[in-house]
Amino acid sequence: MDEFQEILQDFLVESFELIEQLDQDLVELESRPDDLDLLNRIFRVAHTIKGASSFLNFDVLTHLTHHMENLLNMARHGDLVIDADVMDVILESIDLMKALLTRIRDSGVDSGLEISACVMRLDAVANGTEAPAEAPVATPVEEPKVVEAATEEDADYSGMSEAEVEAEIERLIAARQVEDAAKRAHKAEVSASAEEPDYAGMSDDEVEAEIQRLLAERQAEDAAKRAHKVEEPVAQKAQPAPAPVVAATPAVPVKPAAAPAPRRTEAKEDGESRGGSSVEQTIRVDVKRLDHLMNLIGELVLGKNRLIKINDDVEERYEGEAFLEELNQVVSIVSLVTTDLQIAVMKTRMLPIGKVFNKFPRMIRDLSRELNKKIELEITGEETELDKSIVEEIGDPLVHIIRNSCDHGIEVPNVRLNAGKEEIGTIQLRAYHEGNHIVIQIIDDGKGLDADMLKAKSIEKGIITEKEADGMSEKEAFGLIFRPGFSTAAQVTSVSGRGVGMDVVKTNIEKLNGMIDIDSEVGKGTSMKLKIPLTLAIIQALLVGVQEEYYAIPLASVLETVRISKDEIYTVESRSVMRLRDEVLSLVHIGDIFEVERVFDNSEHAYVVVLGLAESKIGLIVDSLVGQEEIVIKSLGEYLKGIEGIAGATIRGDGGVTLIVDVAALMQMAKSVKSTVGQESAESKGRSGAKNKPSDYTVMIVDDSKTDRTIMRKALEPLGITLVEATDGVEALNILKQGDHMFDGMLVDIEMPRMDGYTLAAEIKKYNKYKNLPLIAVTSRTGKADRMRGVESGMVEYITKPYSPEYLMNVVKRNIKFNEGL
Amino acid sequence: MSEKLQQIINRQNKTLSGEDTKIDEVIQLVGFIVGDEEFSVPILSIQEIIKPISWTRVPQTPAYILGVFNLRGSVIPLIDLRSRFGLEMIKHTEETRFIVMKNGDDVAGFVIDRLTEAIRLPKRDVGPAPETISESESMIDGVGKQADRIITILKVWKLLERNF
Repeated sequence: MDEFQEILQDFLVESFELIEQLDQDLVELESRPDDLDLLNRIFRVAHTIKGASSFLNFDVLTHLTHHMENLLNMARHGDLVIDADVMDVILESIDLMKALLTRIRDSGVDSGLEISACVMRLDAVANGTEAPAEAPVATPVEEPKVVEAATEEDADYSGMSEAEVEAEIERLIAARQVEDAAKRAHKAEVSASAEEPDYAGMSDDEVEAEIQRLLAERQAEDAAKRAHKVEEPVAQKAQPAPAPVVAATPAVPVKPAAAPAPRRTEAKEDGESRGGSSVEQTIRVDVKRLDHLMNLIGELVLGKNRLIKINDDVEERYEGEAFLEELNQVVSIVSLVTTDLQIAVMKTRMLPIGKVFNKFPRMIRDLSRELNKKIELEITGEETELDKSIVEEIGDPLVHIIRNSCDHGIEVPNVRLNAGKEEIGTIQLRAYHEGNHIVIQIIDDGKGLDADMLKAKSIEKGIITEKEADGMSEKEAFGLIFRPGFSTAAQVTSVSGRGVGMDVVKTNIEKLNGMIDIDSEVGKGTSMKLKIPLTLAIIQALLVGVQEEYYAIPLASVLETVRISKDEIYTVESRSVMRLRDEVLSLVHIGDIFEVERVFDNSEHAYVVVLGLAESKIGLIVDSLVGQEEIVIKSLGEYLKGIEGIAGATIRGDGGVTLIVDVAALMQMAKSVKSTVGQESAESKGRSGAKNKPSDYTVMIVDDSKTDRTIMRKALEPLGITLVEATDGVEALNILKQGDHMFDGMLVDIEMPRMDGYTLAAEIKKYNKYKNLPLIAVTSRTGKADRMRGVESGMVEYITKPYSPEYLMNVVKRNIKFNEGL
Repeated sequence: MSEKLQQIINRQNKTLSGEDTKIDEVIQLVGFIVGDEEFSVPILSIQEIIKPISWTRVPQTPAYILGVFNLRGSVIPLIDLRSRFGLEMIKHTEETRFIVMKNGDDVAGFVIDRLTEAIRLPKRDVGPAPETISESESMIDGVGKQADRIITILKVWKLLERNF
């Protein structure tokens, strides 16, 4: 039993490997139907699986592959032209074959799947061209023996006399002809011709002679006793059209002998073709062992980190001692070897990404037929390697992206022609290494993404508000396609348009700590770039400090770090932002995310770690940057699993535990975290002083229009706060300078004579004392550029006219931290 | 007559089984103090007892979870039992210990004020937990009676169960 299991395992592994290559070959075959090499390769797969499965008694699988083999064989001999329809049937049967193999893997049996319909179609296709071919009918039967199973068979039969069977042959051939005429024989032929691999090298005469001899031998052998037995299996196997015994008899006995034999030769051929001239020596290893090995390496890396740390300490303490040099040497050798070992073990886990890519040609083919589009797939870099666990995870996202490109990206042929493009759309699938990452690029030359259309669609679906849409850059708009519930397909097709899929892509890529970058031009096409770390267990991390705590951020997600002064942090609608080159980056303090108590905060500067994940970006403010370190990810265990924002823990060189930031979760959390950036407790205390009654709050209204000032005054009077008015920037500045009032906030119009609101704000911010004075712009300018300018000049809020009195009141209350209890 | 006989047999059986408990069913516990009370857990559920070492705070957790610490390469949660039982946390002293308990694959360290002793207790001296608390919520497995004191026996699996 165990032995059987072992054989079964080998069979499954081999079969799945073969199938993987098969899909790609088949699609290629469609474009090059007369490529004999290709055909032979495909044929061999069917043949090998058939042989092995009959050996293992998987009758259903044998039956199916048998018919496939038959069909392919005809194609190989030029008896059948492979067109798209034939290909559909072949692909269908291959799918069925896969399903059967999966069943065998899962349950150990190959029953339960209906194959007769498919077999019938296979036969129908085969039959169409086969009917007239009568003479060759006999040929297939015996050919396999001649070459594939050659020596054994020869040896077997050589001892028999020809005379004995002469009569039998005659009878058999006659019977075959009769039966053909009746058109019922094709089943039998199918089984018969299936045994016929490629013996084209032989001359007709040779073949003929050989057939006669072998047929005779076999017939004689079986004649009396075994003909009877044989009938049954034949009837079973050829169920749809019960085959006449006579015809089948020669075929069946061949099988047990022929099947295992070709299998052996095939294996050899395969090995040779794969490895080229140099023989590749491989060994199959259970993945669990590799995982275990990886864990051990992880421990070793931790040990190494620790050793390095101790070495540094020792160096410091015993400077100049002789033994130090020796210690140094040992430590560096250990660390060098550990690194090499780690790389070596990582390499054992690497698989070429071609494993994933292989299924796409087939998918594109099916999709283009389904969608009536003409699409060509170009694959480059399929030999690029990455960790097995990542290879497993990357498949689904790629399927989604490519489906999307086919469905939404590539246009139908006439649209393409009208647009002056090639009729055939191209999707390029590329993989290459970039540092510690692998980059997978999916480029289509379809219609591209239309940022405005995406925004409109998102607003319509309630995914974003109009206001959000206004503030969106083109890139951000592209990112909308990853939002759950988003789908731009006008029609829901079976391919896509259900609004799931692309958000799955994002989630999966984030799970791998990867990034997505979209580039698109309307009418030209779309390029999607997935950047994924090579391995998951041991990663490079940036260690950051906040107060007395440390956190590790996967370096894969860190785009850059910048040191900024706290003046550069602006607050817009109670969110902190900064300007990074030509982008506005929203900021969040790591302390706010991880509930760190901020006891001391004396630095004028902050470090911003710019995090990028999938297509989004955020700036994380930290107190200090510690450095880059190689860390081993450890789970927090069952008790603490699923803590938001924490991906795991690692053990540092000093033996302490450092938590690893889950960048994806952190970005989610950042959306709901209240900003405390730039609101240093000391300063706010100094400013607000003691507020005992509403009139202790003082707000200045700066506006050149009397009407506007009155509207504001009327809106704010119910609060009972003290209001001071100024008619333009210069006057406002003078009032501030006089220092008669301690202001809690200012309402500033933008358009004013003498000094406008922007200039006023910039002037005010020059005074340290007023750096945190909330300036609220009240204006009819609503453009994005205006808002940005407002933010830059130090405005905290931007109220657009007209506004309701309640709204104004609430904004003011919030900004001056009005205490309702007074 | 046969009834009487039955009674005698029953009585004898009872004595027999009673003796059995005396010999076999002794439970071994480790006692420790949290706050003013003495608690105990079965000795077999204890992986090890260590002196306090440094730990790392984990955010988004209840206050009684102090964080995680490194036990020879494993990252293990650390739970303050004082806080878990609703008592005020105190500064660790010379006598403070971490008891690392396990139940199947679940492992966690618990901060206790001090250890008392290993206790051998016949099973018959263990009474049920007071019924004032609902059975499923209670962390108390039973109450062990000794000559001079009573010891609360805790459910280790309950302590190791995540409840947030």
